[in-house]
Amino acid sequence: MFKKIKKLTYTRPFRIIINGLWKDNPIFCMVLGICSSLAITNRVENAIAMGLGVTFVTVATSVIISAMRNFIPSRVRMITYMVVISTFVICVDQFLKAFFPTISEAMGPYVGLIITNCIVMGRAEGFAMKNPVVYSFLDALSCGIGYTYTLLIISIIREILAFGTILRYRVMPQTWTNWVALAMAPGAFVLLALYLWIMRTLAKVEPEK
Amino acid sequence: MKEKISIILFVIVLGSISSGLLVGINSWTKPKVIKNKELKLKSSILDVFGIKYEKDTIESVFSQNIETFEKNGTVFYRTKTNEIAFKYSGSGLWGPISGVIALNPDLDTIKGIKILHQEETPGLGGRIAEQEFLSQFKNKKITPKLVIVVKEKAKQENEVDGITGATMTCKSFEELLNKDIKEHLECLKK
Amino acid sequence: MNTHPLLIFIAAIFPHNIALTYILGMCPLIAISKNLKTAFGMGISVIFVVTLTAVINWFVYNLILLPTNSQIISYVIFIITIAASVQLVEMLLERFFPPLQVAFGIFLPLITVNCIVLAVSLFMVLREYDFIKTVCFASGSAIGWAITIVTVSAIKEKLLLIADIPKGLKGPAITMIILGILSLAFMGFGGMVKIR
Repeated sequence: MFKKIKKLTYTRPFRIIINGLWKDNPIFCMVLGICSSLAITNRVENAIAMGLGVTFVTVATSVIISAMRNFIPSRVRMITYMVVISTFVICVDQFLKAFFPTISEAMGPYVGLIITNCIVMGRAEGFAMKNPVVYSFLDALSCGIGYTYTLLIISIIREILAFGTILRYRVMPQTWTNWVALAMAPGAFVLLALYLWIMRTLAKVEPEK
Repeated sequence: MKEKISIILFVIVLGSISSGLLVGINSWTKPKVIKNKELKLKSSILDVFGIKYEKDTIESVFSQNIETFEKNGTVFYRTKTNEIAFKYSGSGLWGPISGVIALNPDLDTIKGIKILHQEETPGLGGRIAEQEFLSQFKNKKITPKLVIVVKEKAKQENEVDGITGATMTCKSFEELLNKDIKEHLECLKK
Repeated sequence: MNTHPLLIFIAAIFPHNIALTYILGMCPLIAISKNLKTAFGMGISVIFVVTLTAVINWFVYNLILLPTNSQIISYVIFIITIAASVQLVEMLLERFFPPLQVAFGIFLPLITVNCIVLAVSLFMVLREYDFIKTVCFASGSAIGWAITIVTVSAIKEKLLLIADIPKGLKGPAITMIILGILSLAFMGFGGMVKIR
């Protein structure tokens, strides 16, 4: 009996992490947070900033919500999430403005739109509201990282093909013709569709009916 | 009743904690944000004059090479070789566009141009901020007026090529540039 | 040059469509585009809510936040305004137009987390719009978005009837491809805005 419980507590954090990174990856399984993952991934640096920003906001919100989960009156639940999330988003926004002004400029209003990124809300409502702080922390962190690596993959492909660079270092030969369409919306849509196709086939996600 | 009071209390406490945190963050980052804006303006001015600088030497290079002066209420920047730069601003298709432009000593051709801020659509009008578009302006004549050609290739020495799919942005950019250059030159010659 | 409000309105619907060039409002576009009828309902609700909240937020920003120099909390205020006005609309519908409430009720709570509602308010602040421009931009963007979701769902309905889509491509992925092609098509509108 004791052994069983020990085994269970040992595996749960591990399972949460695997779920966030692979099985329940926010982008290719749950298809959340698409707007930002497409709009700012034409440069790798923006993708890194966005990924870290979302991870930070998700983790902070989940921890706070989970710590307060017994005090939050359920009728004002949504507004509480909104206030907590937007407070952290403003922190991220101000931080970027102060220390990374070029990135802040490139992302423009998309930093503020982290507020409506469904991943943050989804984790707060779906997980943190029902689970203790430690698990919520792990869950939010793994979801954030799952989101970030997806952004990184897409942005690396887009930046190489559209500008011939990675983090502004030239990787393609000078004669490379930039695929400008990939830096714009149509390229982003089609690229994400291909990515979803590959990843959903690999992760064996069943299409919903 | 008791439940209602606790809800109200909860919202008040939440609100005050969050605004307290934000005020703290604001007072911590504000000086840095202002400093960044200033550095960006200075580095852009150095860019349009074509003066080389490193990230941490912007201030010193700026103060060594460039003299700031005010004439008739407008701020100008001058290098030792008598090139003049100033800020321009106006509204584009979507929102405000602002930037810096430098003129050669003859005050008739452009030395360099840069955009500080714009709100145009990424991939369409937003491409006016790209170096590829802006570098065309080098050594173009500003008299009788600057023209951004959209339909065909630029031929005259006061014409530059526009951006396909961003006709309106190009037109507004052309208009605000001509207007601001004219106003600033009048100010300077008074 | 000062852009004419009508120009902003048309540009926001076609060449600068908020869904297809700014890539916003994707979650509902993917989730609720299976059925033409629900897509239409969602589109209409969004047009209404976006215009309403943009107007309220314009007043809040220009009459309260700017004079008190507290732009830093604008995100919090905007999102609360949006949530509150959505709630209010829902209650008013329930009280006075029950049939409408039955038709649109399920969409309203979803709109709170639709990014385009917040995005329109943020763009309006960044671009320093006056009141008329705000109304034109907000309604134009929302109409553009509604057109997109209706088009996508119509295409999807037909596609699911006849096409043999690979397994991994079903659902969201095929929607993204449709959106990509639509977005290419909408780039063709680039030259149409010439009204002065």
